[in-house]
Amino acid sequence: MNKVLTIIRKEYLERVRSKSFLIGTLLGPALMSMFVVLPVLLSNTGAENARTVGVVDGTGTVMARLEAGLAGQGRGNMTLVPYRADGGGLEAAVDALKKAVKDEELDAGLVIPPDFIATGQATFFSQSVSAMVMRDEVFRPQLDRILREERFTRAAVPDSLFNYLAASTSWSSFTINAEGEQQKQNEEATFIAAIALIMIIYIMVLMYGNHTLTAVIEEKSSRMVEVLLASVSPGNLMLGKVLGIGMAGLTQFGVWAVAFFVMSEQGVAVGGFSLDVHFLTPVILISFVMFFLLGFFLYATLYAGIGAMCNTVQDSQQFHGPLTMGLALPMLLLSLVLRAPDSTVSVVLSLVPLFSPVLMFMRVCVETPPLWQILTSWVLMAVSIWLAARLAGKLFRMGILMYGGSPTWAGLVRVLRS
Amino acid sequence: MKFRPDELPPPGGTILTLRGVSKTYGTTRAVQDVNLEIPRGSIYGFLGPNGAGKTTTIRGIMRIVLPDAGTIEMAGRPLRGELLDSIGYLPEERGLYRKMKCVEQLAYLAQLKGVPRREAIARADRWLQRMDLAAYRDKKVDSLSKGMQQKIQFAATFIAEPVLVILDEVFSGLDPLNIELLRGMILAERDKGTTILFSTHMLAEAEKICESICLIEGGRIILDGPLERIRADFPLQSVKVAWEDGREPPTDLPGVAHVESSEGLWRLTLREGVAAQDLLPGLIAAGGLTYFAANRPSLSEIFLAAVARHRQGVPA
Repeated sequence: MNKVLTIIRKEYLERVRSKSFLIGTLLGPALMSMFVVLPVLLSNTGAENARTVGVVDGTGTVMARLEAGLAGQGRGNMTLVPYRADGGGLEAAVDALKKAVKDEELDAGLVIPPDFIATGQATFFSQSVSAMVMRDEVFRPQLDRILREERFTRAAVPDSLFNYLAASTSWSSFTINAEGEQQKQNEEATFIAAIALIMIIYIMVLMYGNHTLTAVIEEKSSRMVEVLLASVSPGNLMLGKVLGIGMAGLTQFGVWAVAFFVMSEQGVAVGGFSLDVHFLTPVILISFVMFFLLGFFLYATLYAGIGAMCNTVQDSQQFHGPLTMGLALPMLLLSLVLRAPDSTVSVVLSLVPLFSPVLMFMRVCVETPPLWQILTSWVLMAVSIWLAARLAGKLFRMGILMYGGSPTWAGLVRVLRS
Repeated sequence: MKFRPDELPPPGGTILTLRGVSKTYGTTRAVQDVNLEIPRGSIYGFLGPNGAGKTTTIRGIMRIVLPDAGTIEMAGRPLRGELLDSIGYLPEERGLYRKMKCVEQLAYLAQLKGVPRREAIARADRWLQRMDLAAYRDKKVDSLSKGMQQKIQFAATFIAEPVLVILDEVFSGLDPLNIELLRGMILAERDKGTTILFSTHMLAEAEKICESICLIEGGRIILDGPLERIRADFPLQSVKVAWEDGREPPTDLPGVAHVESSEGLWRLTLREGVAAQDLLPGLIAAGGLTYFAANRPSLSEIFLAAVARHRQGVPA
């Protein structure tokens, strides 16, 4: 046991004292907030490209209402350019509009014929399919509204009846937690916070998993393996390494967490948005720590096993890919699980040890899965870690006989069978 | 857990015993039925050509490779777990952490052999002093020359004050000055009572330093025991002779197995059972003899003869 502590101490100090650790600790939050915040910012603030749309307005009134409607919707990036029918008639204006779309002076062209209110017909010109999305998402609701309002006016429907008919649903959303209380939630903030926590798990596991891989390979490239194995059992060596490197990762994360909470308390918006701290219920907080630790050690141990087989980082590439897929796949499955967190598929997927850190944790964030499912995923992960550590030790022992030759999948299978 | 002094055999008693140790890799029989008894407090030569099974046997002792069959005991106890802490091992494949300070490196390796940290650092300092490397205490291994790195590795092997030390090809890649330095240290450790298992394929090197040896070939021990007894068992001799004008020796000398020229002299290897003086009358009769000297058999000669005997099925 003392030897494991000695190894942990060495691996931990070696990392914490390195320059890259200091730089990583300082720059990490910046990078991470970029990962997390940037997509949110992009989708929320409508920082889409400016679009210019030419409009031939045969009615003479619709375009002004359209502009007002777009401004009200926060579509400031939309610029409408009128193409008037001066002298040449409507057709000349439409021809000019088509030419401008063809020459890419405009992103799209919209023709509202004089009898629009009666027929409800409009024409849309564009060069790209993506403009069709714009037509459906931006112009259709606006024109529908204008059409409806105008027809009601023409039919002399009284305002009171109009307002009554034009009503739309106004939502109040609640989620009911385990204690049965109702709690008003800002769904978007919850979702962003959950995604942020999952990204933290994902990035930390990937980063420190790789640390373990290179640390084990270094042991072999520096030819320390045999000296070490004459003093420590391969299993203890692996254990010490994974724990030491893991603690360095946790230290880094701890620094960030403290900084984050201090700043949140002070009301400082971290990286452009402030996390709703109330979202962190005890269940979610405990789950986060557990999934973080278990996921972290599971992947770190598996990476260590890969390192044990390989003599160089290049050698490790072929085994590296599938393992990284184990992390990336649940990110792709996330939307599937989000849509139906209770479905059999979701439950089964979230119990797969390699997927649990992302999928089961996501389920904990969006609903509260039965306790037995959470506990089962923890137990399965813990068992997987134990198996992976034994395997890594075995591979490490075998690995010293494989100097020179590159490891192969067939070789791995032979080791697993022996 | 170290051995208490009273658990160890007296000097000359058996400290390490291998019985029927075998190891097969796939279809390759690396080591077959190896039996060894290594006396305490001696330098024991573990000799054989490259690929004979030396490193596999050593890895078996250190439990880096687990033998398929056989038992290994140290001072009468099965060798495993913490008992391995009483063995220092300098493998042929050896290195150091490049980015670690010398003192940290030595202290770390001592700690892994069970020396408490404070004590480990104190010993690391003493060894750096002894190796004339005190000035490099806080330097990274990177900045050391290859010879200095080998000295650090050597120090690391002895730092936990082991009962038994296994040195695998320890002199390979060293310059004569450093070989002399390390040889002196090995002898000093032996004099302190440490048993040294000295594994090498360079027989001439072993001849200078070992008291007992074993010869391994094709995974089997073909010869073992005290060097003097082995020499007596192989009354195989050669003589060096020279004639006036650098004349060639007669071709029909009885009792001569092999003739070769060596440094201006002729080296005549005698057939088994032929004594040097039996040859002398014939040489004198040829006339003009200027030089005659009888040599003791070298280890390489013994080795070749032992391999030949072994292949003919004669027990060594």
